[in-house]
Amino acid sequence: MTPRAFAAMLRARLYVSRRLVLYAWAVAVLVALVQPAGVTAPLFCCSLLAVAIALDQTPGRHPHLDRCEQSAPLFGRELARAKAVVPCLAGLIATIAYALVQVGRGSPDAGATLLVVSPAAVASALVALSATVRLGWTRVLYILLACATSAAAYALAVSQRLVLAEIVFCAIVAFAALRQYGETLARWDPLWTPRP
Amino acid sequence: MALLRMKKAFFSNVAVSGGPITLDLAAGERVALDFATPVEATIVALLAAGIAKASTGSVLIGDYDPRVQSVHCKRIAGFVAHEPVALDPAAFPHYVAYRAALWNIDARWAQAHAQQLRTRLEGIHEAFAYPLIGALIGMPQLLVIDRPQAAYARQILDVAGDLALLSTHAHPAAAGAFA
Repeated sequence: MTPRAFAAMLRARLYVSRRLVLYAWAVAVLVALVQPAGVTAPLFCCSLLAVAIALDQTPGRHPHLDRCEQSAPLFGRELARAKAVVPCLAGLIATIAYALVQVGRGSPDAGATLLVVSPAAVASALVALSATVRLGWTRVLYILLACATSAAAYALAVSQRLVLAEIVFCAIVAFAALRQYGETLARWDPLWTPRP
Repeated sequence: MALLRMKKAFFSNVAVSGGPITLDLAAGERVALDFATPVEATIVALLAAGIAKASTGSVLIGDYDPRVQSVHCKRIAGFVAHEPVALDPAAFPHYVAYRAALWNIDARWAQAHAQQLRTRLEGIHEAFAYPLIGALIGMPQLLVIDRPQAAYARQILDVAGDLALLSTHAHPAAAGAFA
């Protein structure tokens, strides 16, 4: 996939999800204003926002984009990478917004928020992407797995104070989740339509 | 040489099924297929464009099998969906740029070509013209159109020119307009 195609897909996906992305950032800022201290609130808040934006990539929500991407000469894994960047980017920017509000309110936790929350948000979003190509209980299972990823990141980074272990855990989960999403998209049946 | 070869191609999943269909389509030829239901028409169009993979039977697009060489197939076949696209005319250049980027086509050439096609498709509602233009700027050798509007048959056949054209329909009169 050329960088130009990657950028075009990213731009188009961000454009159709723009309202949701803006609401996500607004929610991050609001929660940061209410709870500026610590990394627990930003970890769960930004991870859930990233999961919500990941679920917006469900086929059928933006049918014309789906058809363009399916008919384009691109491999499933290339599509997966480009689509995965959208919730990751939105989750990261929500995390940065949260950290900026923490700085503004004089909280010393902004650096920790960036370090701990960013990998958790990315890993949760990538796990949740697999839910977008499934229906029924398997879809629910992947959403729960995404939430469990955030909980595990919390347990490692906040409860056990093992930040490096949390980053490694999130990197491994993110890598496996992205590969699985790519494999699923490569075998994708375009006549399967989940409820938008 | 046949550009599209379908041999007892059949698709089924838990919700829908379509086919079996057998046909050979050479460069420059066109065929309009009439089906009993819109779903069947869509399934055959997606099979012919290499987007859906046949459950049984075989589909070859320019000697490539969509099950293992889908990227090659999609370089050859351009697909136009039945559903219209709600796009503001001001967003048309962005749409062309997006399609050109996905197909790795020179951006300036794509914009000029798209404008030329838009002029030739005068009279077709933008919602139906834009997806057709989007498919044509990818320079396909085979154009697959799912249930095109019979009212636009003349303009569509005009812009398709010498391309191999497969259109699927759910009404005999519509199929007759593209035959």
